[in-house]
Amino acid sequence: MSSNSALERTVNKVLSQKESDMITQIDSAYHESMNNLESSRTSIESDYERIIDAARKQADNLKRQVIGSTRLNARNKQLLLVEAAVNEVFEKAKVALRSVGKDENYKQLMNRLLEEGLSAIGKDDMIVECSKTDMELVKKSTAFSDRQKKIKLTLSEKPIDAIGGVRVRSADLSLTYDGTLDSRIERLKPLIRKSIVQMLRGEG
Amino acid sequence: MSETVGIEYTKVAEIKGPLMVIDDITKASFDELVEIESADGERRLGKVLEVGFGKAVVQVFEGTTGLAISGTKAKFLGKTMTMPVSQELLGRVFDGLGRPNDSLPEPVADRFIDVNGEPMNPERREYPTSFIQTGVSVIDGMLTLVRGQKLPIFSGSGMPHNILAAQIARQATVVGTKEDFAVVFAAIGVQYSEAQYFKRSLEESGALRRSVLFLNLADDPAIERIITPRVALTVAEYLAFDLGMHVLAILTDMTNYAEALREISAAREEVPGRKGYPGYLYTDLANNYERAGRIKGKNGSVTQVPILSMPADDITHPIPDLTGYITEGQIVLGRDLFRKGIYPSVNVLMSLSRLMKDGVGEGKTRADHMEVGNQLYDAYSRAQEVRALAEIVGKAGLTGVDLKYLEAGDLFESHFLKQNHDENRTLEETMSRAWDVLSSLPEGELTKIKEKNVRQYYKGKP
Repeated sequence: MSSNSALERTVNKVLSQKESDMITQIDSAYHESMNNLESSRTSIESDYERIIDAARKQADNLKRQVIGSTRLNARNKQLLLVEAAVNEVFEKAKVALRSVGKDENYKQLMNRLLEEGLSAIGKDDMIVECSKTDMELVKKSTAFSDRQKKIKLTLSEKPIDAIGGVRVRSADLSLTYDGTLDSRIERLKPLIRKSIVQMLRGEG
Repeated sequence: MSETVGIEYTKVAEIKGPLMVIDDITKASFDELVEIESADGERRLGKVLEVGFGKAVVQVFEGTTGLAISGTKAKFLGKTMTMPVSQELLGRVFDGLGRPNDSLPEPVADRFIDVNGEPMNPERREYPTSFIQTGVSVIDGMLTLVRGQKLPIFSGSGMPHNILAAQIARQATVVGTKEDFAVVFAAIGVQYSEAQYFKRSLEESGALRRSVLFLNLADDPAIERIITPRVALTVAEYLAFDLGMHVLAILTDMTNYAEALREISAAREEVPGRKGYPGYLYTDLANNYERAGRIKGKNGSVTQVPILSMPADDITHPIPDLTGYITEGQIVLGRDLFRKGIYPSVNVLMSLSRLMKDGVGEGKTRADHMEVGNQLYDAYSRAQEVRALAEIVGKAGLTGVDLKYLEAGDLFESHFLKQNHDENRTLEETMSRAWDVLSSLPEGELTKIKEKNVRQYYKGKP
């Protein structure tokens, strides 16, 4: 009987010790889990902040990019439209110039262009070229007739395709002075374009 | 723009490399623009290099390939080369001669400016003192770029200088002001893929609308490269001094520019200088580099970042050597760091921004900026010495402080220097990372920083 109770006591003691150990272990595991949870929460929160921050930055970049490229595309389309309008103005101006009457002003202009061309080439033997409609005008111009008395000056019989003005060449064709209205328009195109664009935009 | 029409000459005496000699010249001026027309009607541009004895030597920008002595005409235009400028240039892409390269029309010009520029009156120059944030830690923290400064990047073949240049172009800003900021990017003799990278990179970041690109490709005639930096700087000057913008001009790669200069010099049979470059290389480079700065009474500024690749990584080569005399410091990319996979591979010990001291500090960036920069230099330099020592005696032979420097050196490279291609760091972030590196050292080692700043920012254990 006594040996049984001693055994029982020992079993109880072992059981209670085991129970206390297990409770301690459970407690410590619980605390450990809580600590892990707490630290995970901090790291998850910081990860969350980081991801949100990166996403915000990316969204800002995207927004800037979309706004930037949209504005640029709109501006570029406007440039193309303006250019088309400018080209149309040039074409119409050239047609208008071709059909304009050869009045006194034009005669004076031809005389000046011829004078400029002859002075620029400055040779003793020169050829003058002009359009078919301007041939008579050149022959009658003072610049042509005056020079013809001093040097050998020939009016080419082969007309050139030009709105107006003259082309002067040395007889050996090594020098050419292009005083046609076409070449002048081409040369002054950037300046004329600016004026046309300003008018189109209602500036100045 | 003059109304007078130039004379067209047909007597081409000689074509030699990029040069053309024209005979029986009656009227021509030095630097005058010449329009060359080939027998089949193709037009090219050139400029007069020499006139005399009835002859003119013309440098043809687009090269002389395909031109014959007979049938070629040269029209002297009576003006120097000009660039049409207006605000419309922003967001546009041009070729190396300033012609549109983006399928859009010629810009409508406010003015036509001579691409050779006008020298800046030295008396009217204003000393550069304002910070430009590039978002690249090593530049902002240790090699600060200042508005109006010229700070070149010395690189080597195959190194990521173009990636760094594009990153700077995308990210550069003037912090804390609402003043306009623009980037003028001149790519000189770059590969097609690189040109596309620059363009795409600016487009995708939305920075293209405040940029003007000039792209001279590797397969474009070398002679065009002489003009590319000039047209780019002409636009930069216009945006800065006429429109009051703060302009960052990036010129890459100036080595290709110098090669083109050498090609012309050889064709002109000039007496060669070092490595065959002309004796006037210094003057010519200075003509470009000195087109940076600020002018008293004007709002804008031109800041220049020329990039040059050093042949065989030789910093004593004439191009980096002469560049270094003209510019205000240099950023040197190191091959060792590049091989270690560190981007940007800036070798800080060989780099310097001479104007940094005037652009940082209280009221401009942060009170501790200069001190932190100096301390980082000191720490990294010591770390390099310790690394060399460790290779001989082993880590076991190092003292505790030496080991700390070794750790700081590694942290400097991995945490401060290294960053992503698209990572735009604020100055605060850069300074915080710098303090992370410095805080790995014992507090007593921070001898270049004022005590109050150490107390405020040091993150190590007391």
